[in-house]
Amino acid sequence: MKLTIGYLYGDLMNIYGDTGNIIALKKRAQWRGIKVKVQLITLKSKILNLKSDLYFFGGGQDQQQELVAKDLKIKAKIIKSEVERGVPLLSICGGYQLLGAYYKPYKGPKLPGVGLFPIFTEASSDRMIGNIVIESMFGKLVGFENHSGKTYLKKEALPLGMVIKGFGNNGTDKTEGCIYKHAVGCYMHGALLPKNPKLADWLIRKALEVKYKKQIELKPLDDTLELQVHHKAIQKFS
Amino acid sequence: MKSQLAITLGKAICFASRFFNIGGGSAAPGLFALRIDPELVEGLIKKIPTNVVITGTNGKTTTARLIAHFARAHNLKVIRNHTGSNLERGIASTLIQNSRLHLEGVNLNFDLGIWELDEAAFNLVAPKVKPDVVIFLNVFRDQLDRYGEVDSVVKRWCETLKALPKTTKVLVNGDDSNTSKLDKCFPGKVLKFGVKDYQISGESISPKRVKKKLDYEAKDIKLRNLAGSSFTLYTPYSILHTNLPLPGVYHIYDAVAALACSSILFSDTPIHRYTNTLKTFTLKTFSPAFGRVEKFTFKPQGLNTFKPQDNYIFLIKNPAGTTQVFETIAPQLKSSDRLLLALNDNLADGTDVSWIWDAQFEKLPTTNYQLLTTCSGTRAYDLANRLKYAEFDPKTINTEPNLEKAFKQARKDLKGRLFILPTYTAMLELQKILVKMGIKKHYWASD
Repeated sequence: MKLTIGYLYGDLMNIYGDTGNIIALKKRAQWRGIKVKVQLITLKSKILNLKSDLYFFGGGQDQQQELVAKDLKIKAKIIKSEVERGVPLLSICGGYQLLGAYYKPYKGPKLPGVGLFPIFTEASSDRMIGNIVIESMFGKLVGFENHSGKTYLKKEALPLGMVIKGFGNNGTDKTEGCIYKHAVGCYMHGALLPKNPKLADWLIRKALEVKYKKQIELKPLDDTLELQVHHKAIQKFS
Repeated sequence: MKSQLAITLGKAICFASRFFNIGGGSAAPGLFALRIDPELVEGLIKKIPTNVVITGTNGKTTTARLIAHFARAHNLKVIRNHTGSNLERGIASTLIQNSRLHLEGVNLNFDLGIWELDEAAFNLVAPKVKPDVVIFLNVFRDQLDRYGEVDSVVKRWCETLKALPKTTKVLVNGDDSNTSKLDKCFPGKVLKFGVKDYQISGESISPKRVKKKLDYEAKDIKLRNLAGSSFTLYTPYSILHTNLPLPGVYHIYDAVAALACSSILFSDTPIHRYTNTLKTFTLKTFSPAFGRVEKFTFKPQGLNTFKPQDNYIFLIKNPAGTTQVFETIAPQLKSSDRLLLALNDNLADGTDVSWIWDAQFEKLPTTNYQLLTTCSGTRAYDLANRLKYAEFDPKTINTEPNLEKAFKQARKDLKGRLFILPTYTAMLELQKILVKMGIKKHYWASD
């Protein structure tokens, strides 16, 4: 089997160790004998020619994020239709915000987003920093959040999980992230997937199922070390 | 009067913290003294005729030590903030410890002050110091949970520079696009330093032929493994051959910055055009900054027939610096050597350990090491997992959060050398362990 991972704006949106998610997806597929290709999809690349089986979209600095926001206007439609097709996607922090309905900065007009997740984000002066633990459909998830934007879920939105420790989407309603079909958005760095292998494997499995149009059972891996990191974080921070 | 009270209190805390063996007394005295007299630093620093301020993500301490080394060769009395204590309180502590109180006021008898400031503290403290020379070494992603993003760090530096006197000499790393563009912020003269055919892009220093205009340029680079390097520095008025006992290209940048600063302060005038030309700098008596690259020896345990080996400590703290350390040691690692890595998530290390995924652990050879790599520190398991995803065999990874135990395990039956790579607070802890075991002297006594 083969898996192509599309790294959305990987040259511009790659802070806080989010590249670790690409490493985790790649290795966990390779360790099962699945061939992996990581392709960069960035400014000017034509996503139509670069269709992937799984997308990752990380966070970036303000300046880069502005460039990406402009370019996304061209790519929004195709990203949405990919997710509608069932292709899995993981987005963290800046990438998560850009895939929402809009971002409202301190001054000036709202910046429209891709509109994939039924969420919107507003700038705030609080910086929400620290270790985070949430309860989700993938069990407990652990990570590190660092954001000042506050994200709110619209009525129809499904959160990725509920906060046990940390701030989450906005620091008030106890929700963290959003999940739509097989697309996941959240504020969890860490990197997220290397220490939450259940979520990593769900993304890989969904990618292969959509690609090969059949049910897939992934070969189990020895996750002793991954689960130790996971348990230690839960113990220490929640 | 207020400042005298502040100094007296600071000195008392300093004495107490050493007496009770709490630490080197490098921050607490300043912290409390600044509460009594917030203008303590301005007041005291005025008494020092020349001051240099160094900022940047990596290399501050090594650069400061090198400038101090050159200054002492000119028989100058140097004062500087030691042991990586680079916030305002660290500077206040140093000033307090070195002040003499007498009836007429405070006495500070030094020729040159060298102050390292972290990226954020620079904006607050540099205007108070009114430095003669400012050095911007580089800016990499560091502990972003404390400083914010690289772009905003540079933006704030730019604002601070605008407010400094035009006569200040500003030295910037010309190979780092982030520091290089600071020349647009400062109305006075900005001098650039760098290394020929190298450039810094993103997180890494790499060989690349690019045309650039540097005022201080290192050429003819020769890397000599762990022993160090040699290069020739072309300054506006002289050519200096330098033998540097520190490994890696990243240390050449520190040395070039220090030599450029020393030239500005002591010698680089048209009069010296001929006397300095082709002078050779052999930094034989220079010893690396504490923990940056430190060599120490011990007798291998349980293997009495082996003679003592050199072992190394390399501080790791952010993706760029860590990858540079990996690049430096990777070609030197023999199959009999071992690695001990220690990752802490205390405030001074950065509480976010995500950065280990940006550091290129893939540059380390994954086999050999006498079949053992030890991961330690408060986030030992995160580190072990990072190694696993860099294709280390999990069976060869030994995870022990307790650093003293980890050190003993790594040392047991060791045939080759031990390379220890700790984050900042793990390094402080390691120093204490090495002192306790009689392997090292106290750091504040030897720094």
